Amino acid sequence: MNILIGTILIWAGALWALSRVRRDHASELRTVWQISLDTFLFMLPRLILGLLSAGFLALLLPEEFVQRYLGDNAGFGGLLVAAVFGALTPGGPFVAFAIGASAIKAGATLGAVAAYVTAWCIYSILRIMSYEVPMLGGTFTRVRLLYSLPVPILLGLLAQAVM
Amino acid sequence: MTPPGQPKKRKLIDGGLITLCIILCLSGGAVWIKFGPQVFWSSLLTDLGFAAMLLPKVIGGVLLAVALGYVLPRERIMALAGPESGVRGLAVAMLAGAIFPGGPAVTFSLTAGLMASGADLAAGVAMVSGWVLLSANRTLIWELSFLPSHFVLVRVLLTLPVPILLGLAIRHMAKRRVAAE
Repeated sequence: MNILIGTILIWAGALWALSRVRRDHASELRTVWQISLDTFLFMLPRLILGLLSAGFLALLLPEEFVQRYLGDNAGFGGLLVAAVFGALTPGGPFVAFAIGASAIKAGATLGAVAAYVTAWCIYSILRIMSYEVPMLGGTFTRVRLLYSLPVPILLGLLAQAVM
Repeated sequence: MTPPGQPKKRKLIDGGLITLCIILCLSGGAVWIKFGPQVFWSSLLTDLGFAAMLLPKVIGGVLLAVALGYVLPRERIMALAGPESGVRGLAVAMLAGAIFPGGPAVTFSLTAGLMASGADLAAGVAMVSGWVLLSANRTLIWELSFLPSHFVLVRVLLTLPVPILLGLAIRHMAKRRVAAE
């Protein structure tokens, strides 16, 4: 049901955006289709492999461990654990989100997963070292990371309260 | 119009895909050994079915993410995020980071351009934070495919003010430092 509603909303958005492109930049429409097709072909194998891995990992993750450290009773400490794991997770979005999905299946709270995903977004080490520091400089990167420090925990707490 | 910073054609097989294959083989093998072939196949089939159900959403997400980059006039939006633009400038910088598609190379060079045209560090951080936390590409294509829709919605709504708050905090500290000197 959830998937159906999401699908309808996204298609409504996609049709709106496509009609705008057709109206204002008709000549770009072909490029939009081409890039979309390339993106789709790029992600399809990653999506399938990621979902299958998420299913297996969820079976393997020790449920007791997940529920103890990331479940309902884990509280603040659980968010901290999740945030540290998120910051340390290497690799592309499919890796981090697949791990998040298996953690939910194994009993992690949505607040913990929010902290995990947020920390992963902010602290992707590879991206920081290979792009951010060379292109924007050490000071910029230091300031951004320092000020972002409390964000994963705060968002985890808020998400915990809301969901 | 200038084409928005779309990612260049990517290699279909890269390190990420190989890593994923290794993770799948190891986790699948471990499930087979620990729980037996029956559990292995049932998990595999369930998740393949789930992937099939997701496909329409994934296709819609890709189209939306790609088309969105063409709908918004990039130059006009970037001009709004210039110097002395206040909270509105921070919001615009955040949205530019979140909505314009492209990988780190594109977003970081847009940010460098924004700051070279006079925007402050706070606007730059708001833009990069908008991208890392809320990238429409990543959220629509990847996050929605793997995680429940209501989770994604709540996370995005809660995160929306964050890049602006980070920018405001940085401006506040900069002002205090100037006042102290």
